[in-house]
Amino acid sequence: MTGPLVEFDGVDKSFGDTQVLYDVDVDVDEGEVVVVIGPSGSGKSTLLRCANRLEEIQGGDIRLDGRSVIETDVNEIRQQIGMVFQSFNLFPHKTALENVALAPEKVKGEPEGEAKRAASDLLDQVGLADQAESHPGALSGGQQQRVAIARALAMEPRVMLFDEVTSALDPELVGEVLDVIEGLAADGMTMVLVTHEMGFAREVGDRIVLMADGRVVERTETRSFFDEPSTDRGQQFLSRLL
Amino acid sequence: MATQTESESSGGGVLMRDRLVKRVGEVAAGGFVLAIGGLLAWILSTQVDYSLLASPLIARRFAEAFFLVIQIVVISSLLSVSLGVLVGLGRISTSNVTGRIAKGYVEFFRGTPLLFQLFVIYFGVPRLWATGEFPFTDWAIPAAIIGLTLNHGAYVGEAIRGGIDAVPNGQMEAARSLGMSRVMALRQVVLPQAWRNALAAIGNDQIILVKDTSLLTVIAVPEIMSVFRNINSNQLDPWTPLVWVCVLYLAITMSMSQLVNGLERRSDWGSDSRMFGRLSGLGSGDDDGGEEA
Repeated sequence: MTGPLVEFDGVDKSFGDTQVLYDVDVDVDEGEVVVVIGPSGSGKSTLLRCANRLEEIQGGDIRLDGRSVIETDVNEIRQQIGMVFQSFNLFPHKTALENVALAPEKVKGEPEGEAKRAASDLLDQVGLADQAESHPGALSGGQQQRVAIARALAMEPRVMLFDEVTSALDPELVGEVLDVIEGLAADGMTMVLVTHEMGFAREVGDRIVLMADGRVVERTETRSFFDEPSTDRGQQFLSRLL
Repeated sequence: MATQTESESSGGGVLMRDRLVKRVGEVAAGGFVLAIGGLLAWILSTQVDYSLLASPLIARRFAEAFFLVIQIVVISSLLSVSLGVLVGLGRISTSNVTGRIAKGYVEFFRGTPLLFQLFVIYFGVPRLWATGEFPFTDWAIPAAIIGLTLNHGAYVGEAIRGGIDAVPNGQMEAARSLGMSRVMALRQVVLPQAWRNALAAIGNDQIILVKDTSLLTVIAVPEIMSVFRNINSNQLDPWTPLVWVCVLYLAITMSMSQLVNGLERRSDWGSDSRMFGRLSGLGSGDDDGGEEA
């Protein structure tokens, strides 16, 4: 493969008259972990949601492996982009195992037994093999989020998007979810993370994208960002955190 | 109760008032039961003719009416819930046309009395044919089923729409993000939850449907009220047949609420986070509903 796996190319996004993304360019190479940070309301989550077309963009293009996301069938493109949400959004009427197996079964048409076996392996991978038969209501937030990650992985996506996946968790449950994401990074999964966990961003991110007011203000290697941000905005953002 | 004594000793004036309200409520409820119970006992002992009540002739006539009502209820129930699902889906359709038609349907059938709708169907519709051409010879029961179905389909449709609206948006987004089409996401993810959300309201409506069959007496369906009217005018004794009427309706509605409770229990998928706020009595100091927020 030559170009980047995911390419945000001059993306403009508005909600009605309010523009929330201005000409955003971000490239994500295969196997790379890009962490998007920035103050609330800077457009980080919206950017992720544009990638799998939960939001439609008004200008520019987003490409997956060189193919325009906008021009491809939405249901097809979403199978290749896994998404994990802040609020888990597990299906409460299905067990953990059924949550993971549902889409492979219904969307890909995998036979039930096969989908369940694969789902079982994925639950094992996120450390929840023993909770396969539990309904989400009986799981802790951290466990629910790990099931949600397994559910997204079950479609064997080419890239995973994580939208503030630890923000709704009790502090003591954050670690178990970050461990799972770290494991994915070690396995070479391409990921875009929106997070407020700076320690984690520093540890797992290959590159940092700092956004403010709908614009990318800094785009750099993780280490150099945290050691010496090149822009005033970056310095300002870090100084408020540290 | 330990918490109560504790806060009492810390001089809780509010708590005292709570307990007073609780006592007043108990006295009122108890008084109500005594008054009604006394009246009922008096009626049952002085007004009801027990030999007439137990006479096979009356029993048979009520039994026939009862089974007819059950048949009408079962058929109208199944049809109105099916229709309601379609109406509910129409209401949330992304197509403007479908949405408006469903809305118009609901507005009309909720906005006019069931009795009017029954008259339209029973008296009005046959007149659209030339005299003697109308294909049904006994139109009363088909008209009743059509009327109940159309009317309650509107209410069930609104219950289902409400149930769908109550499913968090994130459910649809999560399902779509996995590559499901909208229809697939509705079927697999949203509707099962919407059904559970709507179950209580649908059950409520179906119990009303049972009671609405009493209106069918005016379009010549030989149902329970018709039997009452007949016996009352022949025997000049309202109380005896009224006992029958009361027992028969309660038999249907109470088994129906049992059925709904059973369905609700079955569709409770062990999620404690979704417990519908159950207000505990006035007396309880700290409400466990507080965890919800």
